Amino acid sequence: MTAYILRRLLVLPIMLLGVTIIVFSMMQILGPDKLLSAYVDPNKAEKLTIKELEMLKERYGLNDPLVIRYGKWIGNTLRGDLGWSQVGRAPVLDSIVSRFPYTIELAIYSVIPIIGIGIWLGVLAAVKHNSFIDQFVRIFAIVGWSFPDYVFALLIILIFYSWLGWFPPGILSVQMEQVVNSAGYNQFTKLLTLDGLLNGRLDVFWDALRHIIGPILTLSYIQWAYLLRITRSSMLEVLRKDYVRTARAKGLDEKVVINKHAKRNALIPVVTVAGQLLIGLLMGVIIVEAVFNRPGLGSFVAQSASQLDYASVMGALLFSAAIMIVGNLIIDISYAFIDPRIRLE
Amino acid sequence: MKKTLAVFAVLLSVVFIFGAITNPDTIVKATIGGPDTFDVHQAYDNASGEVLSNVYEPLFVFKGSSLSEFEPRLCTDIPTVANGGIKDGGKTYVFKIRKGVKFHEGGDLTPEDVEYTLERGIIASPTGGPMGMFTQYMFGNPDFKDLVAKYVGVAEYKEMFNDAAFQDLKPEYTEKLVKFYKEVVDPAVEVKGDEVYVHLQIPFGPFLTIIGGEAYWGSIIDKEWSISKGLWDGKAEGWWKYHDVQKEKSPIYNVCNGTGPFKMVEWNTTTKQVTLQRFDGYWRTPAKIKTVIIKGIDEWSTRKAMLEKGDADIITVDATYIDQIRNREKEGIKAIDNIPELGVRSISFCWSVDPKSKYIGSGKLDGEGVPPDFFSDENVRQAFSYSFDYASYIKDTVNGLGITIPTLIPQGMLGFNPNLPTYKLDVAKATQYFKRAFKGQLWLKGFKMQITYNTGNVVRQKALEQLRDNLLKINPKFKVEVVGIQWASLLDARKRSELPLFMMGWGADFPDPHNFVFTYYHSKGDQSSFYGENFINYATTPNPELDGLSLDQIVEKAGLETDTKTRVELYNKIQNFAINHALGMPVYQPIALKGMRTWIKGWYTNPQKGSDDYFYTLSKAE
Repeated sequence: MTAYILRRLLVLPIMLLGVTIIVFSMMQILGPDKLLSAYVDPNKAEKLTIKELEMLKERYGLNDPLVIRYGKWIGNTLRGDLGWSQVGRAPVLDSIVSRFPYTIELAIYSVIPIIGIGIWLGVLAAVKHNSFIDQFVRIFAIVGWSFPDYVFALLIILIFYSWLGWFPPGILSVQMEQVVNSAGYNQFTKLLTLDGLLNGRLDVFWDALRHIIGPILTLSYIQWAYLLRITRSSMLEVLRKDYVRTARAKGLDEKVVINKHAKRNALIPVVTVAGQLLIGLLMGVIIVEAVFNRPGLGSFVAQSASQLDYASVMGALLFSAAIMIVGNLIIDISYAFIDPRIRLE
Repeated sequence: MKKTLAVFAVLLSVVFIFGAITNPDTIVKATIGGPDTFDVHQAYDNASGEVLSNVYEPLFVFKGSSLSEFEPRLCTDIPTVANGGIKDGGKTYVFKIRKGVKFHEGGDLTPEDVEYTLERGIIASPTGGPMGMFTQYMFGNPDFKDLVAKYVGVAEYKEMFNDAAFQDLKPEYTEKLVKFYKEVVDPAVEVKGDEVYVHLQIPFGPFLTIIGGEAYWGSIIDKEWSISKGLWDGKAEGWWKYHDVQKEKSPIYNVCNGTGPFKMVEWNTTTKQVTLQRFDGYWRTPAKIKTVIIKGIDEWSTRKAMLEKGDADIITVDATYIDQIRNREKEGIKAIDNIPELGVRSISFCWSVDPKSKYIGSGKLDGEGVPPDFFSDENVRQAFSYSFDYASYIKDTVNGLGITIPTLIPQGMLGFNPNLPTYKLDVAKATQYFKRAFKGQLWLKGFKMQITYNTGNVVRQKALEQLRDNLLKINPKFKVEVVGIQWASLLDARKRSELPLFMMGWGADFPDPHNFVFTYYHSKGDQSSFYGENFINYATTPNPELDGLSLDQIVEKAGLETDTKTRVELYNKIQNFAINHALGMPVYQPIALKGMRTWIKGWYTNPQKGSDDYFYTLSKAE
């Protein structure tokens, strides 16, 4: 097991390097003219002389050959300097680090209902196979899966903010922002709800929670659909296995059969899916962050890509790739613990 | 049942809460994007300008919505010839500096601060920044690097340095650069007692609109505080290390210390939010509102929902969505859709296209291209001008949010004359002119060319497509291809006179007609200098229609004229000339938009502000 983990960790930098080479090359193919748009507002650019445009290209090294530009980028990266983010208006690393807590907070809060309710619904549908509940859950899943997330996010805003006024967009209300930015308030973890509790400010905690419920609802509904379908089909397969029939034949209580014999085995493939879901959430959710005005990694990457801010794109990509690779490693390792039949070596 | 009633009561309370003023001492503005920098000499965008004009103050500003009347801020009187504030035939401006004004960090405003600010701005002169307007009239050259290079006697500024960042000066140039500061920059701004003297090399009437008005680049900074932050130390030695510093490396990139009604207390680049706090030590009565929060929210639905709930007081609205907030005054929401921007959008002709240009086909009048001097023929320009449906373009493509303009002087500007004739789509007249062009050969043989817009600019693309379709209807032999290219490539091609026809926009740098007339009609204008050799000859040749002056001469004369009535007459003459000879196609003047809660009181705007707001006068009341 240890050797396996070490091997995976050693491969990590090589994989990251490969990813950066591919993405860097793809962005550089666009050429200096297009990449310059990350540095100069097109409206302002109309007033620049050609001499000034050339000076800017020279300043940002956009006329340098591809290998030199990549060399410079990788050299600076190894020194911990990912460059300046035009989108974040700050160094790339700072831009990512300052946004990550918002992404973590949303991911943690979302993953609990997604996995908890998703698996419960999947198991329920399988156990009540072909019943009204099963049919209802399947329709629920199909609707959720086929619903575009931006439409659902807008519906949530319309119902829970515009009509009911319960769950506003953003991260905090104006009053609570003032509390959080006041001198006596400590931002220990940068997670708004947790810091609210640690500072003994339930009003901040509650306010932050109100602002995060809308995005959680949106993400949950979309992801439930996926997770419950996987759980349902896995559970149905297990329920047809001989050992389940044997357990029932032994006269075991149905709850024991389901929970002890069937569910544990059925959840093995679900772990992969749930793990991937969490990784996806940690890498940022673009639409939900944009609609609910949450400054997470997803909206940062989307803006950086649309503005061709390649320093930010590369930095965020490196960060996301690291999350993906480490996350997958953890999933692989967790297999061995869940199912002793699996030997990673 | 009790539970149902309780839920109903909660819902009702929510409905009743809707409509009450939210955060009565705070104004929340939800807009798109965010500031670029808070360095007053680097900032050249609306989002930064909005913050700076609330935090800093220039010497004087426009009075309310006027573009011709001023009221003092950090000076006590507006300089005029009559009060002795404008001397030496318009080459010297004298500003008496106000006493008793405090900066947010506690410093007192002094005339030395004003001198330092202006000199620092000139020295900083960032590439593509606003300071070229100052150097143009103070030293006769809008390009500071070129000014220095010419003084030193080198071909290019960069020749004097060992590095691309212009920090490592070659030792042999040290003395010359020190001398440049002492002989050129330093004498241009002087302090005499309570007064600051600004000397221009070229007398220029609208100079006041460059240094004051809505010009946030005219904001005054505190000398001691700035030096303590690491800005230029005020010395002649080493000034070049502070020139054209990369935006993010400016020591005042994200900090402010002005004399204005609000302090900038936070710029959160993560949440894209700027927080301004009322400055209680403000020299006028402090603002009514305590806090201003400017949030960057790119998603329209979210901005709209926040306005509806009262969580945002002012929002930015795109033309596409303006109908969603119109006619909702009963709900406490109003749409402001009548703020003319001081800008124009136009189609320009290149009179002498580079014969090798790929955009003119064969380069001959053979039906497979156009000759390089295609648009030198006035008949062609007239025909093109009659081939565009300006009214339907404004109605359909820009959703009615544009103003028809007869020439390239926008509404609200001195010299704008709504009574001048405007071109309209007129197929008969277009046909008539096309038949006259090139002795009838154009009509018989037809033409083929490519016309360009910057990729992604759909509004411009649609304009050119409409022109293409109309030309094809007029004569099936008129074949035009609309091509989108990257803006940098487009600018490059325009500079090399490769584009036979292009659509561009121009926003006022300062609210004076000279900024438009020079730009579009003078042979050295920012737009017209790309019209080519034939236009230069045309604009420099004396013309009886212009009282024997050349177009260039009359444009220059109007810029220097100090008598308003005479200026207006001169601009009328220029505009009539431009219309009669179809010097360009003024497509429209854009209108700025915003949505606002009706509880906002004291709001006004100035055309030069566009969609920016001045929060000092605002309050919230039912």
